[in-house]
Amino acid sequence: MSDTTERVKKVAAETLKVDLSMVKDDSRFVEDLGAESIQSVELVAAFEEEFDIEMDEQGALGVKDVGSAVVFIEKHL
Amino acid sequence: MGVINRFIEQAKTKAGSVVLPEGTDERIVQAARQIKDDGIADPILLGDEQEVAATAKQAGVPLKGIRVVDPKASDKLGVYTDIYAKTREMKPSIAARMVKRALFFGGMMVSQGDADTMVAGVAHATATVIQAGALTVGYAPGIETASSFFLMVIPDFQGQKDKPFIYADCAVNIAPDPAELADIALASHASGEKLLGEPARTAMLSFSTKASASHDDIDKVTAALAIIKERAGGLNIDGEFQADAAIISKVAAKKVKEPSEVAGQANVLIFPDLDAGNIAYKLTQYMANAQAIGPFLQGFARPISDLSRGASAQDVVATTAICIAMT
Repeated sequence: MSDTTERVKKVAAETLKVDLSMVKDDSRFVEDLGAESIQSVELVAAFEEEFDIEMDEQGALGVKDVGSAVVFIEKHL
Repeated sequence: MGVINRFIEQAKTKAGSVVLPEGTDERIVQAARQIKDDGIADPILLGDEQEVAATAKQAGVPLKGIRVVDPKASDKLGVYTDIYAKTREMKPSIAARMVKRALFFGGMMVSQGDADTMVAGVAHATATVIQAGALTVGYAPGIETASSFFLMVIPDFQGQKDKPFIYADCAVNIAPDPAELADIALASHASGEKLLGEPARTAMLSFSTKASASHDDIDKVTAALAIIKERAGGLNIDGEFQADAAIISKVAAKKVKEPSEVAGQANVLIFPDLDAGNIAYKLTQYMANAQAIGPFLQGFARPISDLSRGASAQDVVATTAICIAMT
C-alpha cells in the first residue's frame, strides 16, 4: 500500500468528518463516505494542501473515490 | 420591444453589479465593456490584472472604468477565507485555496453583497459553476437542489404574440426524485414570478391529468406536489396535468374536474425528468420557432448563472441582464 493512499485516506476522513477506519482503499466519497456531490472540489483543495500541488478544477470533477484520487495526485507529484 | 431588450431596460433601473470570474476570456471582456457602456450593470472582472489587460488588448477593448480584481491578491481574500472556513468548518489554509479560485471568489462576492450576481461558464463545466454556487452563495430557503430553466418565447401562442413560458428542468437534473422535483418546481415558480411579467402559474406535467392514468411515474409527480403543498401550500402550483390540460383552457375545462388556478393557463411548465424537459424545449424551439433563452441556473439564495462554452459576448450581456432583473 502506497504512502499516497494512506495520506489520501487521512485527508478524506478529515475533510468528510468520518472516522479514518471507515475509509477503505476503494471507498467512494459520495456513496460510501457520505460526501455531498458538490464537495469534490473541497476534497481536491485538501489534497492540494496535503501534497503541496495544484490540481485543475475540471480534472477534479473526476475524483470520485480514493483510488482515482491517488492516481490523479501521483500524476501531479 | 424584444424580450431581451425588456430585461436590459429592467436591469438598467436596478444599478446592480455583476462579477465575471472568467476575465481572461475575450468574450467576457467584450461583454463587460458593453454591460458598462450600456449601463446594464457595474461589471467586475476577475483574474490576474496583467492577464486580463492582455486579454482586453487582444480583443481591442479598453478597460477604462471596469474593475479588475485578482482573487489571489485581493484585500478581501482574508475576510472571504475566514467566512468560508467558518461556514464549511474547514482549515483556513484549505479555505484559502478554495476562495482563491475565481468561481469561488466570485461566489463569495455575491454571498457577501459585494456583487449582485455572478455569470460564468464559458471556461467551466456547468457542474463546477453549480458547485461554486452551492458552496458559496448557498441555496434559497427551503431549496436543496440546483436546477435550470429556459425562458421560452412563443411568437404566436393561441393568438397571443411573444408569449413567455418557463420550462424546467431542461439541463441539469436527469432523473429527479419527488423532493428534487418539488425543489425544481418551487425554484421555477419563483423564477417565473420575477421574469414573466405576470403571476406565475406552475403546472407539474405528466402523461396523466389528475389521476386519469396510474403508474409509478405519475406517483412521482403527485409525491412532489404533496411536498410542495406541505412546504408552500399557498402557491399556484398544481398538477398532475398533461401538457394540453396545462396550457389550453378548452382542454382543461374538459379534463380537469376540480377547481384549479393553474389548469389551462399555466405559464411555468415542470417536466418530470430531463428527457421530457430537454426534448420539449428543443421541439418548441424549432417547431414553434420559439426563442429559447437559457439555460439559467436557479435555486440559489441569489441569482447566479451558467453560460455555455460556446456563448457569445452578446449571450453574456443578455444573461447578465436577466440575472440582474432577477435580483
